[in-house]
Order: sequence, then structure tokens, then C-alpha cells
Amino acid sequence: MGTFVQQVFNGLTVGGIYALIALGYTMVYGVMRLINFAHGDLCILGAFVGLTLLTGTAASGQPGALVLLLAFAVAIVVIAAAGVVLELVAYRPLRKADRLSAVVSALGASLLIENSIMLIWGPNVHVFPAGLLPDVIWHVAGATITFVQVMIIFASVALMAALYYFVHHTLFGTAIRAVAIDQDAARLMGINVNRIIMTVFIVGPALGAIGGLFIGVYYRQAYFTMGWTYGLYAFIAAILGGIGNIPGAMIGGVLLGLFNAFAAGYLSSSWQDAITFGLLIAILLVRPTGLLGEPVAENA
Amino acid sequence: MTNRLTIGAAAALALLAGPAGAASILIGVQAPTTGTYADEGQGIEKAVKLLAEQQNAKGGLLGQKIEVKVCDDEGKAPQAAICARQLVNDKVIAVIGSYTSGCALAAQPIYAAANVIQTSDGTSDKLLEKGYKTWFGNAAPNSAEAEFTGEYLVKVRGFKNIAVLTDHSAFATGLADAVIAAIKANNGNVIEKAFVNEGSQNFTPVLTKLKAMNPDVLYYSGYYSDGGLIKAQMQQLGMNAVFVGGDANQNVQFAKIAGPAAAGSIIINVPAPQYLPYPAAKQFVTDYEKKYGAVPPSVFTLTNADGMRAVLEAIEKTNSTDPDKLMDYMHNLKEFQGLTGPFRWSGRGERIGSPFVAFEVQADGSDKILYPKQN
Repeated sequence: MGTFVQQVFNGLTVGGIYALIALGYTMVYGVMRLINFAHGDLCILGAFVGLTLLTGTAASGQPGALVLLLAFAVAIVVIAAAGVVLELVAYRPLRKADRLSAVVSALGASLLIENSIMLIWGPNVHVFPAGLLPDVIWHVAGATITFVQVMIIFASVALMAALYYFVHHTLFGTAIRAVAIDQDAARLMGINVNRIIMTVFIVGPALGAIGGLFIGVYYRQAYFTMGWTYGLYAFIAAILGGIGNIPGAMIGGVLLGLFNAFAAGYLSSSWQDAITFGLLIAILLVRPTGLLGEPVAENA
Repeated sequence: MTNRLTIGAAAALALLAGPAGAASILIGVQAPTTGTYADEGQGIEKAVKLLAEQQNAKGGLLGQKIEVKVCDDEGKAPQAAICARQLVNDKVIAVIGSYTSGCALAAQPIYAAANVIQTSDGTSDKLLEKGYKTWFGNAAPNSAEAEFTGEYLVKVRGFKNIAVLTDHSAFATGLADAVIAAIKANNGNVIEKAFVNEGSQNFTPVLTKLKAMNPDVLYYSGYYSDGGLIKAQMQQLGMNAVFVGGDANQNVQFAKIAGPAAAGSIIINVPAPQYLPYPAAKQFVTDYEKKYGAVPPSVFTLTNADGMRAVLEAIEKTNSTDPDKLMDYMHNLKEFQGLTGPFRWSGRGERIGSPFVAFEVQADGSDKILYPKQN
């Protein structure tokens, strides 16, 4: 029993992180039909920006929580700005071009960000300072849960709820959904499509920066190639949930985390990825558009 | 007309040959200077460059300067093969590195075909299988380490239930299998062999599974970047098993990554650079620290330095850069005075002679040797 509960918490923690990152993929795909391959690297850039602030201020004697809040705030602002620059430089000029050109541009942007991180911070594994958060451990039904895990799970749920409310219950969110359905019709209705796309490139990377910094705070480790690994997992989570669908990305992320935990914990640790991805293929065979994806007719 | 052409061609040839005439002795470094194992790769590069610089300050060898060519294999086997071809094309006579067995293995046949000396800390026993005469392992192979580990875990410490964890790399799986065999040879009990994915960071699922089996000790055969994290996540899960790590956990980063959980971890390797008892080693560490402002990241910086030192000694003693003569010299060394202790090479390039120790990481990050007992 304790082992089962422990595995659920193990899965939920990484699942929450995958979900936060997956939202960026799914939102961009929703409005632009583009896989933003640079998204994973943006998230890790967020982790590095946060790390710089944490190491810079950790010695200042300020309380850990305050330092951490500041790190999150700065990472969110910087990565949101980077998202806007990315859209303006790498994607906007190609909006009318062949879809493949935008994909190549996305891959190029991914490499550019990854290598910039390497040049700025160096190629080594970076370690986050210890002791920023209270060292509290709870024992629940035979499982141990740390403060960081609880923080990640709660913050992920709260952020996703807020995003869901924003997209489904505000006028701006309605405009985002309208652009996702049909850009031209949305434009005819007086919606500023460029502004909507810009918003998506602010909100997605901002959430990704939080996810990236969660990785750093939870594992206390960051290196420049990490964006690819986490980006791939989050991308798969987005596909699993139905790419373009926001609740789908959330569910996909959490399920992927749980799948992985149960595959490693109960079946075989050497086959954990093969089992996880085998399960994904099985789900996609039954529901080709993902769990919450709706059948889409390709535009001519 | 013909004459003029001939003269022109000759002049052009002379120009081409010009730089080669004033040639220096080229030594290659193949190491992961970027990526997850970057500090190890950079350590190898820095050590080799330091030795070359010191040799050049003494006037080089055979009246020529030592020049170092570096290729970054990123710790990835396909890139390692590309590096090997590149260094062979650059006409190096010997290559120092790489750090990982997987990369050394991918490059090995290329150096063997080109008759280029390869000396690496790669410890996978697979590196010895082909018996290439160009191969000179500068760290003791997994089988020797496993023998020490099996005896230490079962006989010295008396652990009853041993769980073995490994990543999927050539090196770590080889070491894990050898350790399991050694534990069984000592009549010890391996309750589980489990895997983690290198660099995946998410190790709690497999650790939760192992925790439920109540092992006394968890032996991890992979690398420090994952090992440190595994130790931290064991503490997070409230797992009481003793952490024992294989040689690749010996790196200054291990204690940083594990953080407050590092204390009490046991690592099996030859001692870390700063704890080596030999005067030459102390001198080297001092020189290294003076030049680069930090101690070498791990003992593998020094084993690779030993590979470089052996090549330089061979050039000096044979008064030649003919690879066959150098290899003969190195194979026939009775006892090479390495920074990491005296050793020699077997015919298939196995390092024989390594003083293994089991040391415990202390709360302040220093090491305390537990076994064998020190005076």
C-alpha cells in the first residue's frame, strides 16, 4: 500500500512538471498548427535564469522562500520575453510559408537556445543551492512526501486551473479559442490575430519557465541539453492528451508521469520507457487524436 | 614550358611540405568537453595540455614541440567515431581519452586500424576483448574493481541483502554484472538488479520499488551525475540502505549534487587525486590547481595523465615517434611509476596494479578511507 501511494506521488510530481511544459506545446499548436520545438529549451533557459538568481542571492541571507519567489518572477518575465522574441524572429516571417519551413525554423531555434545556454553558463552540470525550502517530510499511508513535491503538485494544479479559467471564461480566452478554430474568420470578427498569437507565446513560455524551475528546485540539477529530454516528454504528453487541447495536455502530462512511475515500479525498470511508449501507441491506435482530441478535418 | 611547370610544382610541394618539416609531435585528446560529463572531459584536456606545456618548457621531445589536438566526443558513441577519424586524419600519434567506455569502444577499431595509440580510463572489459595492440587502458578494468567490491560488500561489511542498480551504458552494465558475479562468488545475496535511464533524473519510481525490498545496501555502478541524485532521492524517500557507488561516482560534483544527503555515501575507486600518497601525484595536483584554479574533477584526470606520461616517456626512451616502437616500449614496461600508483600493461592493454579503496563521503565533502585500513 505504502509503495503504491508513493508511486502515485512520484508520478504526480513529474507529471505536473510535464503538464506545465506540455501546455506550451499545445497552446502554440492550437493557434498556429506549429510544433514549437524550441519550447523545451526555453523551459530549461528558465531554470538557468532562476539558478543564476538563486546562487546570486542565496548568500545574501534573505529567507529562502523570498529568494525563490524572486527567482520565479524573474524567470517568468525573461522567458516570456524570450518567447515573444522567438515568435517575432523565428515564426512570424514564416507564417505564410510552407509548414515545413516553420518546423525547420523551430528546430534551429531549439539548437540556438541550447547552445546559447552552453556558451553563457558553460557545459557542466549545474547544482542548485540546497536548503532553500523547508526540509519538511510528511508520512502519508506509508509513503514519504517532501515539501517540494507538495509545492509542485499544488502549484501545477493551481496554474492549470487558472489557465483553464482564462481560456474558457474570459473574453480574451474566447478570442484565443476563436483564432484556434479559424484565423481568417476570427480576423473578420475584429480579433487582432497577431496579438492573440503573441499572448500564446507569452503564456506558454511563462508556464514552461515555472516547469523548468520546478525541475531545478526538485532535482537540484540543470544542464544545457536537458531541454531536449523534457521537451520530448512534454511533447508526447501533449499528443497523448490531444494536441491543441488544453485540458488534454494537463491530463496527458499527469498520465505520462504516472505511467512511467508504475512501469518502473511494478513491471521492469529496464523496459520502463518501452512500456510507457508502448502504452501510448496503444492509446493512439484507439484514439488517433489523443484522449481529448476531437476528430480534425485537415484544411485544404 | 615543361620545366617551368615542374619547377612550379616543386615549389608548390615545398610550400606544402614546409610546415610539416618543422612539425611538432601531435597528441590527440578525445574527451566529452561538453555535455553531462563535461567536467571530466575538460579535466582530461587540461591535464594533457598541462603535461605538454611542462614538456615543452623543458625543450619538448626529439627537438620538437608537443602539440595537442582536442576533439569533443560529447560522451556519445557516434560522435566518438567521428572524433577518431578526425584525429587520425590530423596524424596524431597517440590519443588520450575518452572518459566513457562507450566512447572509447566506438573509437577503438578506428585507432587500431590507423595504428594510433589509444589510452583511456574506459574500464569496460569489452575494451579488452579484441586484444588491440593500440589499446592501453589507464584505469583498472571492471573485473578487478568488481572483485574488490564483492569482497568488500560481503566479507568486510557483511551485507546480507544487496540491490544492484545500473544505467544502460556499456561501462555501467558491465561493472554491475561483474559485481553481481563477484558478490555471488563470495556467497552474497543479490536481491534485485534494476536499471535507471542515464540523465532522466526521475529515479524515485525504481527506488520506491527497491525500498519495498528492504536491501541493506544499494550498489550503483553508473556515473556521478546520476549517482549523486540517486543518493539524494534515497534520502527523500526515507530509504535507509547504505549507498555504495562504483568508480565513476568519484567526482567532485557527486557531493554537490547529492547535497546534504551526500554524507555517508561509500565509493569504491582508487583514492581521489588529493588523497593519493605519491609525491609525483601531489606535485601534479598542485600544478594543476595553480594553472586552472581548481583541483582535478576526479582521479580519471590523473589516470589519463598517466597515459600521456607513459606516451611521453616512450618517445623519450625509444628516441622515436614510430608507433610500433612506442607500443612495444609501453607493453614491456615492468613497472610504470604512475601518478595513480605503479602499474604495468598486459599484452591486451589491461592495466595491472591499482590500489582500490572504499571511502566514505563526509559531511564537509571530504573523503575518509574505510578499507583497507590506513596507517
